[in-house]
Amino acid sequence: MREVAVIGVGQSTFGKFPQKTVVEMGCEAVIAALQDAALRAKDIQVAYASRMYDCWVTGQSILSELGVSTIEMVNVENACCGGTTAVRGVWKEIADGHYDIGIAIGVESMTTSPIARKLIPPPKEDFEGQLGATMPGMFAILARRQIEKFGATVEDFASISVKNHHNGCLNPFAQYKKEFTVEDVLKSRMVCDPITLFQTCPNTDGAAAVILCSMDVARKHTTKPVKIIGSALLSGEYKYRQEEITVSLLARKTAKMAYEMAGVGPEDLDLVELHDAFANEEILRYEDLGLCKTGEGLRMVRDKATWVGGKLPVNPSGGLLALGHPLSASGVRNIGEIVWHLRDQAGARQTPNAKIGLAHMLGGVVGSLEAGACGIHILAR
Amino acid sequence: MAEKIAFREGCFTEGADGPILLGNKCGKCGQVFFPKVNFCFDCLNEEMEEVKLSRQGSLCSYSTCYMPSIHFEPPYAIGYVDMPEGIRVFGPLKIVENKPFKVGMMMKVVIEKLWQEGDNDVIGYKFEPQ
Repeated sequence: MREVAVIGVGQSTFGKFPQKTVVEMGCEAVIAALQDAALRAKDIQVAYASRMYDCWVTGQSILSELGVSTIEMVNVENACCGGTTAVRGVWKEIADGHYDIGIAIGVESMTTSPIARKLIPPPKEDFEGQLGATMPGMFAILARRQIEKFGATVEDFASISVKNHHNGCLNPFAQYKKEFTVEDVLKSRMVCDPITLFQTCPNTDGAAAVILCSMDVARKHTTKPVKIIGSALLSGEYKYRQEEITVSLLARKTAKMAYEMAGVGPEDLDLVELHDAFANEEILRYEDLGLCKTGEGLRMVRDKATWVGGKLPVNPSGGLLALGHPLSASGVRNIGEIVWHLRDQAGARQTPNAKIGLAHMLGGVVGSLEAGACGIHILAR
Repeated sequence: MAEKIAFREGCFTEGADGPILLGNKCGKCGQVFFPKVNFCFDCLNEEMEEVKLSRQGSLCSYSTCYMPSIHFEPPYAIGYVDMPEGIRVFGPLKIVENKPFKVGMMMKVVIEKLWQEGDNDVIGYKFEPQ
């Protein structure tokens, strides 16, 4: 297995753009990544693209606008984890020696999708879905347990939203560039109790792209390549195997695989980008990813350890909450964010002297499982 | 004339003392499943026995939802109930005015109409505060 580097990163500005097509947004991200990598579209040898809704043959629809034809293209879906799945696909192609340069694209037009302004639904005949389960509902159930069993408060949850919205103000690509107070968050419309609107990620349209390559190619471009040192993707564990619903067996298994492959532990991380579709979820992931011991997540929140400028910034990009969540783009976008920090290119939200970062994503609702999929990448310079 | 149809077959029944949820149990390793599975997900054994679950359990967690799901208009409640059989069951919760939900409270199984499909009443289970 060969080492793989990331040499190009790009994304479109995230927001509500129902007039923009998936192809337009995809091209924006791809062109930015190519410019970043100082490569031409014709240099790409393999492409993986992900989207949930519009449009089919995604890679082809986008890249045919840019002069790319007759290369291997694979289009993947893994709900919100689709983008991560696309990056892992390209990583495998290069690591296994099939190609030297590849691009992973994630794109979503949420505002024109069938679920615009609705709750992410489980599959049609899903048992729990029929009985009232939706993604926000399931996370609200976790939040209630965090409160009544483990001492969390709604202010703890709101403070995650405050943090990530503050970070959004530092990110030129963010959908929301507005500071929120805890009160603003708690006074917003109730979605599924105790989760209020500003504790959930918005409907977002956008695209992201990363270009991966072999180390030989990387060395021609830069003396300080960013490498992917860990990659893991697992489907959800059965819920019946969870002893405690707030402890994710899936996330912990995936994290263990990624850390083992990378040869690092959570104590080595300088920053983390993780799935914060719901503010309460971020706290659980601190524990699942081993950023702190199980039960210590609330302390990390209250100590502000994960703010930009803190001991271990989490979601300095603004996360899904403030930067936004175009479902299949987020998994590509958050890997790109890690790369920016490792290259010292993250501007106002930069993690000083960042050397190792972790990008986590979670996706999909399936009744009998914790979640559809979890994907984790660890990058290092 | 409205007919009553179960939202899922083989999932619940009316017992002498009231409604009962029907799961199944692995003949080899004893793992209980609800809803029923075709074979045990732990040991892959296909010999499963139908199991009548207890009529009540303890509320693991809950949420009242204010946006629609596939069949329900808000507000409606959902949650997980920990059953004595060692499994956690997801279900709609019946909102009862003087009995606010609380983690750990006892909930009992009830059967009622869940939604309408054409002329038919689709019935299923809910958990109600004891």
